[in-house]
Amino acid sequence: MSASRLGAIRSRVTAVLRWFAGISGVDRVLIAGAALGLSILVGFFIVLGSGRVAECQTAAWTMPITGLGFCYNPFEVYFILFNGALGEPFYLWEPALLNPGWLPITLPWLGFMPGWSPFNNSFALTMSETTLLIFTGLSVAVAFRAGLFNIGTQGQLVVGALLTALVVIALAPVFPANRAGGVALITIGIAAGALGGGFWGAIPGALKAYADANEVITTIMLNFIAANIAYVLVLEVFRAEGSSVVATAYVPDYARIGPWFFPTTGNFAEAALLIGLVAVVGLYLFLEHTSLGYDLRVSGIQPLAAEYGGVNAKLTTVRAMTLSGALGGIGGSMWVLMSEGRWVESVPALGFDGIAVSILAGNNPLGVFPAAALFGVLKGGALQVGFQTDVPPELIGVLRGLIILFVAMPEFFRLIGRRFVPEETEREQSGGDGAGGDGAEGPGGAKAADNGGETGA
Amino acid sequence: MNPAVHLDGITKRFPGVVANDNVTLTVGRGSVHALLGENGAGKTTLMNVLYGLYRPTEGRVVIDGEPRSFDSPRDAIDAGIGMIHQHFMLVEPMRIWQNVVLGNEPTEWYGLRIDEDAARDAVRELSARYGFNVNPDDRVEDVSVGVQQRVEILKALYRGAEILILDEPTAVLTPQEVEDLYDVFEELTDQGKTIIFISHKLSEATHAADEITVLRDGRNVGTVSTDDVTSEQLAEMMVGREVLMERSPTEGSPGETVLEVDGLFAEDDRGVEAVSGVSARVCEGEIFGIAGVDGNGQSQLIESITGLRTPTEGSVSFRGESLDEVGRRERIDRGMAYIPEDRQARGLVMEYDLTQNAVLGSQHDPAFTDGLRLDWGDATAHAESVIDEYDVRPPNREATAKSFSGGNQQKFIVGREFERDPDLVVATHPTRGVDIGSTEFIHDRLTELRSAGKAVLLVSSKLDEVQALSDRLAVMHDGEFTGVVDPTTVTEEQLGLLMAGERLEDDTVDHVGVSRSNDGANSADDGEVSP
Repeated sequence: MSASRLGAIRSRVTAVLRWFAGISGVDRVLIAGAALGLSILVGFFIVLGSGRVAECQTAAWTMPITGLGFCYNPFEVYFILFNGALGEPFYLWEPALLNPGWLPITLPWLGFMPGWSPFNNSFALTMSETTLLIFTGLSVAVAFRAGLFNIGTQGQLVVGALLTALVVIALAPVFPANRAGGVALITIGIAAGALGGGFWGAIPGALKAYADANEVITTIMLNFIAANIAYVLVLEVFRAEGSSVVATAYVPDYARIGPWFFPTTGNFAEAALLIGLVAVVGLYLFLEHTSLGYDLRVSGIQPLAAEYGGVNAKLTTVRAMTLSGALGGIGGSMWVLMSEGRWVESVPALGFDGIAVSILAGNNPLGVFPAAALFGVLKGGALQVGFQTDVPPELIGVLRGLIILFVAMPEFFRLIGRRFVPEETEREQSGGDGAGGDGAEGPGGAKAADNGGETGA
Repeated sequence: MNPAVHLDGITKRFPGVVANDNVTLTVGRGSVHALLGENGAGKTTLMNVLYGLYRPTEGRVVIDGEPRSFDSPRDAIDAGIGMIHQHFMLVEPMRIWQNVVLGNEPTEWYGLRIDEDAARDAVRELSARYGFNVNPDDRVEDVSVGVQQRVEILKALYRGAEILILDEPTAVLTPQEVEDLYDVFEELTDQGKTIIFISHKLSEATHAADEITVLRDGRNVGTVSTDDVTSEQLAEMMVGREVLMERSPTEGSPGETVLEVDGLFAEDDRGVEAVSGVSARVCEGEIFGIAGVDGNGQSQLIESITGLRTPTEGSVSFRGESLDEVGRRERIDRGMAYIPEDRQARGLVMEYDLTQNAVLGSQHDPAFTDGLRLDWGDATAHAESVIDEYDVRPPNREATAKSFSGGNQQKFIVGREFERDPDLVVATHPTRGVDIGSTEFIHDRLTELRSAGKAVLLVSSKLDEVQALSDRLAVMHDGEFTGVVDPTTVTEEQLGLLMAGERLEDDTVDHVGVSRSNDGANSADDGEVSP
């Protein structure tokens, strides 16, 4: 019977997912590290392969022994990717002592770049990306913890960003043009962003709660609506005079979140990162140490138990989506007040990257910071690789994608495992109550075939 | 002549549970045998052992007098056993003949091509022989569920099955299709096939089977010939009446009414009416029991009372106030404790540890929160006191709920709910799957609560339990109370009749609270159980 072979495959898949679902925190860190190494190994060969088919005057790297030449040097690519993201604290040199003539390869040695300061433009770019992704990552994570898949962080960010820009520009004349006025304007701007994003998140929340509309669909649609409404509004009403792109006017300089130590050209502000870290800790405390957070978590992990525990499912859905949207909106505020200084039509896809950040972080707020930092490093490093080598940007995109894919995949399996497999585990264990095995009584041929695979194996 | 199937002392253990305990079963050739029992009685497990899906821990399977050991369903099929699962395994867009021959196709051109004509003819011939009236060229998705079931039976017959196992065959059929299925049974047995079917409905077993085996808690309670048994006796066998427990005397008379249910109607998840006009009241200092075979609307009634389900008609009031507009959380706050039927889906968050589970339902209670912050210190203390007082083992509040055995999960829920200091305790199957010691412990606590003047609503399918604990006992059948009786004076026969849907016009029975539903006494619903 083919069903039993199918059952064997199914049961194996189930077992693997179950294993992923059960791994501990330490395991996860180790797996993430191993995945990073593996992705670099795979990327190494992809760089080599592309370097072999590409055409160039001189080989960037010659393989020892074989003497084969390659247009791109994979060692160099990965070195620049990580080193460049930090503003090049290290350099490579080749001490003659370690490299006698009879060695087929030269061994490079890491040297610390004298005069390197962390407050450089490259590192600022990395940190700026990290900061923005913290907010969008938290946005996706909080919805996920409530069992909701918010694809709409991008739209919430667009709305929040536009509202921030408009409110700050409109209120700028009211406040004095000094630091105090700036702080007031920034506070109001962030509040406006949170409000706008929160509202934009509340819409799919309410649609889900009261009209049973799937939040994945509605949030995707609201992304388009947000982007286009914002575009038309700026194009027709709020466009800055003389601007060649569709953009609002700049907010006044004193109302921008500026750096303390970093160069102003880096578009990064330590204060914004600080706000991000406060949000990380705040969200963690909210989820783990408040009644509402408890409601939200239980709704996400076991909706039936939440209902039993007196959690209002509809209200919790709306609350979670509003909070998620507000975080996305604050991300938009930061983008305007820290990075751009105005709203421009080319909003980066921070909201979508936030989904990957959240998954990478296991939807744990505390994990969002390192996950966002990895994304930031890859973004900053990729730019440096583009500047310093002939490697085409598409190939760098592939390498970034590989790293993210490899590091996120175990976490992704874990999520799937937790979401879909535990039901069966629980059923089987519910047999443990001695009543005679609900699992065994569970009807359904697929289930039966599943067990068939297990016993057959 | 050897019996077609002889299961000899089958024991099947899963980690932590005995699903089948020394079950012996003999089915004669050409007969229809019903396997009757409540959910979780071990019926499907036993059949999965016969079909080779599980290997028995102990015991042996003897087919036609020959001991067999099945490693997989393939071996069982080779031995002439076919199983029709409750959910059909058919490829819907494909034609009936394709489905029947799938995996065993007759081929031509040296196996390169399916011999369609031969396959079609084979299916047509089989269908005609057993009077199935199936057109091999119809697509499965176009035919009714009843016909789909026949296609499943044809699949088994095509593979040479002599013994057919059907898992809850009537669950998906309309009444007419059920009648047709019985005709199919007759046709099959006339031609020497043996049929075993699983059911938890009395009426089906008495209608269709020659012999009935009742399983309860994984044990064979008895095999009876359909001609020698009444529905009442079967109901009793299913529900069980093990050791008669000591009744603890009622102290004092019941006080004020705590819970009042008036003319309640409710639907199940599929939108079918499950509760049809139930009225009841539960007073301070009494245990009101609800007995009956599972699935007669008890779950929906309880969910309507506790706020998990919105009744379609009728009302529930608590301490004289209507609960129509009152949500689940408010009901908890007003003093309603609830031991849910499904402890793993509802009663506990399986992935969370016991500390986190200790506040489920009280996460907004001032005892644990100042309105914003949840005090995990208080929660930890609470979890520890529940673990300690209710003897939850192992006493580790940091272990996830799912790592505990069912009995210990239940003790933790019971402890958490009783410690709320509620006015009303709604306990559904509080001792299901709990070992004897813990059962006694939970019983003692329930009677203590009564002595403390609390109202208790107890639902259990264990007859001895409800009878020993209740002060008044309602019997539920098909969404209605067939009677509310005094558990000290009611006889076994009377309870059996009530559970089977008969009503008693007897003076010994106190019909408190069933006035509304009494109007249609002995109406259509009785037809279902009389053979």
